[in-house]
Amino acid sequence: MSGVSYSINLRHYRRIRNGVVVWLTLVLVGAFLLRIPRIHILEHTARNLYFHVPMWFTLMVAALVSAYHSLRYLQSGDPMRDVRAREAARVGLVFGLLGLFTGIVWARFTWYLGTSLWWNFDPKQSFVLVQLLIYGAYFVLRSAVEDPEKRGRVAAVYNLFACVTMPFLLYVLPRQMESLHPGAEGNPAFSDITHPIMRLVFYPAVMGFIGLFWVLYTQRVRLALLEQRVAHLRAPMLETEP
Amino acid sequence: MNLQAINDTASAGIATPYDTIWATATVPTKAPQGIERVMLAEDKLYVVLAVVLIIWIGLVLFLFRTDRKLDRLERMLQERLPETNAGASP
Repeated sequence: MSGVSYSINLRHYRRIRNGVVVWLTLVLVGAFLLRIPRIHILEHTARNLYFHVPMWFTLMVAALVSAYHSLRYLQSGDPMRDVRAREAARVGLVFGLLGLFTGIVWARFTWYLGTSLWWNFDPKQSFVLVQLLIYGAYFVLRSAVEDPEKRGRVAAVYNLFACVTMPFLLYVLPRQMESLHPGAEGNPAFSDITHPIMRLVFYPAVMGFIGLFWVLYTQRVRLALLEQRVAHLRAPMLETEP
Repeated sequence: MNLQAINDTASAGIATPYDTIWATATVPTKAPQGIERVMLAEDKLYVVLAVVLIIWIGLVLFLFRTDRKLDRLERMLQERLPETNAGASP
């Protein structure tokens, strides 16, 4: 989206939306049908790689999109940028929460078996909760400031801070500690749970969920645009009523 | 069953960080009970189902929230422009 777009190309939007839906359906089928090597303890839960991990990729993309629009808001003061930053953060937060909950369930029935533990302070899990709380505070902050211009500026500055903490909380710190997550052993990305064949579904899954983010985000932006138009429509009507 | 699996791996010498029980967890020695028995059936396939369902339910809840916002907008438009249809452009 270059420039200040006050309307969204609907044909473009629908084409991408339909593509994303078909794409994700194929990913879902592939995720269950592709045969993967058996690993003890993990067994079929290795397939969660296709669902749990893309949530985090999507959160990061959403955070970058949100931070980009916040930066442009500070440069231009265009309220549309504020709306886009807000909606990207909102949809990103949804994906972050889904990633957290899927991680909790995965660990509970895979590594925490027989312990009845749902939460064991895995470093990555704990830091990601902090990161999500930081994003939660973004919305609390927004609701605390009345004046739209001031709110936009304060929220944009805070949002840039929230985005900057992400690499540290999600990458740097968890890798210094023993964790269930890959990376702690000095292996930056893939580990033994990811047989090369799994990349056949994993990469499309990441792309699919990022696409889904784009669809939901654009939907919310459309809604916000409509809301603004109705608000503008409302003002003159109120004056003529009495 | 799980104890057996761990012994197999250790003797085969192919242990990986993901192939071992989490350090603080005790090795389960008795058959899984209750919810664990359900989740561990079919080689833990139901864990994957649970994860997919969480994502599905989460997305549906978000969809409903968006829908509610749309409802409010439609009501507002109806109030402001009672003579026209809310769906039609003014």
